[in-house]
Amino acid sequence: MPAPEVVSETERTDTAAVGAGLDALDSPTEARKPVLRRVLATGLPPLIALVLFLGAWQAVWASAMYPEYQLPAPLTVWQEFAGTVADGRIWQILWISLHRAVLGFLASVVIATPLGLLIAKVPVVRAAIGPLLAGMQSLPSVAWVPAAVLWFGLTDTTIYFVVLLGAIPSIANGLVAGIDQVPPILPRVGQVMGAGRIDSARLILLPAALPGYIAGCKQGWAFSWRSLMAAEIIATSPQLGIGLGAYLKEGSDFNSMPGVIAAILLILLVGVGIELLAFRPLERRVLRARGLAAAT
Amino acid sequence: MTATLDRHLGTQHRGAVDLQGVGKVFGRGADAVTALTDVDLRVQPGEFVVLLGASGCGKTTLLNLVAGLDRPTSGSVTVDSGRPAVMFQEPALLPWLDAGRNVELPLRLSGVGRAARRERAAQLLDLVRLSGQARKRPHELSGGMRQRVALARALAATTTNGSTSSPANGTSTDGGLLLMDEPFAALDAITRDFLQGELQRIWQATRAAVLFVTHDVREAVRLGQRVVLLSSRPGTVVREWDLGAAGVDREELTEEITGRLREVISTHART
Repeated sequence: MPAPEVVSETERTDTAAVGAGLDALDSPTEARKPVLRRVLATGLPPLIALVLFLGAWQAVWASAMYPEYQLPAPLTVWQEFAGTVADGRIWQILWISLHRAVLGFLASVVIATPLGLLIAKVPVVRAAIGPLLAGMQSLPSVAWVPAAVLWFGLTDTTIYFVVLLGAIPSIANGLVAGIDQVPPILPRVGQVMGAGRIDSARLILLPAALPGYIAGCKQGWAFSWRSLMAAEIIATSPQLGIGLGAYLKEGSDFNSMPGVIAAILLILLVGVGIELLAFRPLERRVLRARGLAAAT
Repeated sequence: MTATLDRHLGTQHRGAVDLQGVGKVFGRGADAVTALTDVDLRVQPGEFVVLLGASGCGKTTLLNLVAGLDRPTSGSVTVDSGRPAVMFQEPALLPWLDAGRNVELPLRLSGVGRAARRERAAQLLDLVRLSGQARKRPHELSGGMRQRVALARALAATTTNGSTSSPANGTSTDGGLLLMDEPFAALDAITRDFLQGELQRIWQATRAAVLFVTHDVREAVRLGQRVVLLSSRPGTVVREWDLGAAGVDREELTEEITGRLREVISTHART
């Protein structure tokens, strides 16, 4: 077999230069907007919307179209809110609801993750309970509250039961969707590199399914939060303490519209807050690492 | 210029790859599709063999058999060079790992320690001229760079006769086998031309045997020491050209092979 043509030194450096040139020309470039503009672009629009909303509210209240017990002034609601902060009651209410939601959500993750894996990887299991689990997402979990009250009474078990049934389908379905969307070439690459079943799942399949899984968890959090509120509004008892849902019910029972509105705003605030503080940054980090989210 | 296989067969070495009477049928009964029939092919250690054929010639099936991803229906496939390195048309890098960790992954799977992994990955990235790019993520690299990372990763996966290539033996993967399934087909012409040159350089540096699948006659003639033409549906070896012989006019040969390939394709219009 004749020796391959000898490449001269100059030719070699030429090739290196061409390669470096190609690399420089073809590499995707990323432009980042300045920090101030980024903050303004994301922070200003919602702020303006909020101010406009409060202005409209104040105007409608000032026109006295509705009686005071139906539509209080923004300031009255603020005073109600500030009152709960001042006497420290708000922390107790938030703690009761938040720790339930977080515990319920974590338990849902622990149960839903192996369940999702089973459905995704075992065809019989998928055929048997896949459609049921997908359908469960459209069943409002508040529908479980009456049954849970009859089974477990007015206890914490009732509340957790409803939260779990609300969150588990979302998380499991998210994981299944994430696994289904893994490009088939990736497991094949694992196979030719000599990955066994477990290594392949741990190092290739699960990380590849992570974006879908996180989306499922995000939805699961939203579902567990709203299920919890439904359960707290319906299942009220002194032993259960006063969470946000019970606080809302209390406002309604006492005909206190400022209390009701303050409770609704708090529920919204917590739901959005967790989403913005926990899930959004996590999701962005994961997506950006894969080049899936635009750098803003 | 027909194949002169006797020269290869006469040597003392066993082939890096040895296919004898290999057939592959997908499905059963009336729906069965014969992808390959009676394929005899031998790749010597360190040899660069190009499989050339139109769509449906079972090139990819053949490569899957050699890679151990699939089993032949008949005949035997012997691979005598440990686990081969496999490269696909897409780079198929893991998007959540940076270039360095992508290259490290096969080493991690075979239980190589962290420091040794780092070192080997750095050597391989150096080999494909990507030193200093280890911390870049796949989406930050160009198509050609990604395919070079994929090549480095494929080389990291090779084992020579059962043992993981040790980090001590430099950039060499002596006696390894590299299987490439149209690796440059999705790249632009300039990048493809550059990478063809790079592959030649890396092949010479690693002394690995290469089995390269393509449907591009020019690419086949440029890269191969031996070009094997496959027919389509079912795929079988039609003819071989030895480009290693002295005084081969590559221009002329390109014409000749193109002509033969067109003939093979035309037969399908008649049947």
